[in-house]
Amino acid sequence: MKLRTLIAANLMIALAGTVVVQAQTTRLGAKPGSKMRIEGTSNVHDWQVEGKLIGGYLEVGKDFPLEPGAKATPGKIEVKGEAFVPVRSMASIEKDGRSYSTKMDDIMYEKMLATANPKIFYRLSELTLKETAKDKDSPYLFDSKGELVVAGITNQVAMPVSILPLADGKVKISGKTDLKMTDFKIEPPAPKIALGLIKTGDPVTIIFDWMVGPAKSVAAK
Amino acid sequence: MNENQNILPGFNRRDFIKSGSSLAAAMAMMGGVRLFAQTNAASAAGGKPGIKVKVAVVGLGTWGREIVRTLARLPSAQVVAICDKYPASVRRAAPDAPDAAQLEKFEAVLENKEISAVVIATPTHQHKDLVVAALKAGKHVYCEAPLAHTVDDARAIANAAKAAPQLAFQPGLQLRSDPQRHFLLPFIRSGALGTWVAGRAQWHKKMSWRANSPNPEREKELNWRLDPALSLGLIGELSCHQIDQATWFFNEKPKSVFGLGKTTFWRDGREIPDTVQALIEYSNGVQLSYDATLANSFDADYEMFYGSDSAIMLRESSAWLFKEVDAPLLGWEVYAKKENFYKETGIVLKVGGSKALDQVQQQQVQEPYTNTPLYFALENFLRNSFDIAGAAEDFKATFGDDDPAALKDHLSKVHRQPAADFLEGYQATIAVIKAAEAVRAGERVQIPAELYELT
Repeated sequence: MKLRTLIAANLMIALAGTVVVQAQTTRLGAKPGSKMRIEGTSNVHDWQVEGKLIGGYLEVGKDFPLEPGAKATPGKIEVKGEAFVPVRSMASIEKDGRSYSTKMDDIMYEKMLATANPKIFYRLSELTLKETAKDKDSPYLFDSKGELVVAGITNQVAMPVSILPLADGKVKISGKTDLKMTDFKIEPPAPKIALGLIKTGDPVTIIFDWMVGPAKSVAAK
Repeated sequence: MNENQNILPGFNRRDFIKSGSSLAAAMAMMGGVRLFAQTNAASAAGGKPGIKVKVAVVGLGTWGREIVRTLARLPSAQVVAICDKYPASVRRAAPDAPDAAQLEKFEAVLENKEISAVVIATPTHQHKDLVVAALKAGKHVYCEAPLAHTVDDARAIANAAKAAPQLAFQPGLQLRSDPQRHFLLPFIRSGALGTWVAGRAQWHKKMSWRANSPNPEREKELNWRLDPALSLGLIGELSCHQIDQATWFFNEKPKSVFGLGKTTFWRDGREIPDTVQALIEYSNGVQLSYDATLANSFDADYEMFYGSDSAIMLRESSAWLFKEVDAPLLGWEVYAKKENFYKETGIVLKVGGSKALDQVQQQQVQEPYTNTPLYFALENFLRNSFDIAGAAEDFKATFGDDDPAALKDHLSKVHRQPAADFLEGYQATIAVIKAAEAVRAGERVQIPAELYELT
């Protein structure tokens, strides 16, 4: 009897603890409206690829600003999150947004080993609020740390991100960072279709707007 | 009689685009400026390695078998089923698709979950039920043109395709996928021809269009083209591609058609004329004159587009520009290759068709496209099927599948390889249905603008 009481009490404590944790965290899922862009260079002209799909989730603690103008204290925020981008959703575009070249897309997919690694992953490990929003229409400025997996190669990435809670309950997370293709063991393409005369530069810039909101999410796999 | 002897001898839409080299030689003797695009490396390879679409071909007449043969050359195609209700047709197609299941019932195609795309090459009047059922079964569909022999059927097909944005639907207007035509289009649209004057197209081939069979019922089926209740005749079955090409180049739709048809040679009791002429008036006031005959082969098939500064001739996968003496200098034509056409000189319209480039590339020989528009059309259909399916899959993996409106919006932005869409297929079909009506009546038939809209 005494043992049963003890077990029951432990269970209740454990359950209560779970409830407390769940009450303090909010899970945000990916929403349409996202955009990821990769900008690069070549010896001919600059290029860009873009995709509209960023999936994943974000679990945030109570200090995360979920509403426009919400109070937030600078410092580390309790957070856990993963994002992914299907490689084949990325496509080369002209500066005005028109589609550029399917051949270039295919070269990109091949270089990113899309068959074996169909998604780009990002796992967020740390988020630190540096600057609160100036007003309801302004973003909160954070420093982020996490790991980025491209073509099966993982690298640690640190970058500033801005987080803008929107009136409809969604949150727009924006960031920009510079990377090198070779850090992910990707050889900068020199397409054979141009006799190898076009050579792309190693450095690329990643720019993204990730829309999340309080809805069911699809887990990264 | 052997069934093989009854396959509408010579009726082969590949005649549309016979080998480029013999044509080039003939044209060179006559002298013109030739307009053709460079062979696309990716296309020559048959598309992206790794893409494989499992496809069934339904309807294995002469053209259906040409489709099977073309798919056999496409690395992105895996023909997993061939289907025709007539077993002999299935057997005839089998050598070109040795690993494909040989089916006589279309339902077996629908039930096979392995099949993701279906090419419909049956008689035109059978398209509607097959296309609608295939789309409903979740298959990507390529349907030969014209889509249908009635407005209602054409509309039903187009609406079914419209309601399935997660699937690729492509009418068999193969010229819309032809790189040569895409090379010409911006040139034409730039106004290089001056003010539009007129268009002209023809299809000439001596052939009966009649097939024989020891089985009267089978013979009736085989000769659906000669049945006025089922067939749009020459103006529908043959001109659909050429009239649609003019529609595309003019960037206008036909607003009226005057037609005449006579049976001049094949007086075997047929009610479908063996020779037709039509005058198609476009909404910009330009007219396309068209004639087709089964009684004479001279000059085969080609299209001419006339402007106040220049004319363009398209034959198969080549094109030539003929300038008026008072036409402004374009500049590049000084360096362009030229070929003689009887008393005229034509400028070759071709990417890389510059004498200056030849000097740089040490006389590198540029052959015109060796693949047919059908090849490019099927290649693009398979790639679009693959990409649309992938985009739908990625969207659902990212956001779930409970927001069909957002999915539709996402799919509408997926980049597609050049191909006619359901609306273009519908509109091209409407144009030839009305043209056939004009030929039957021997008078002018108006095509109300609202008829081109899907309701």
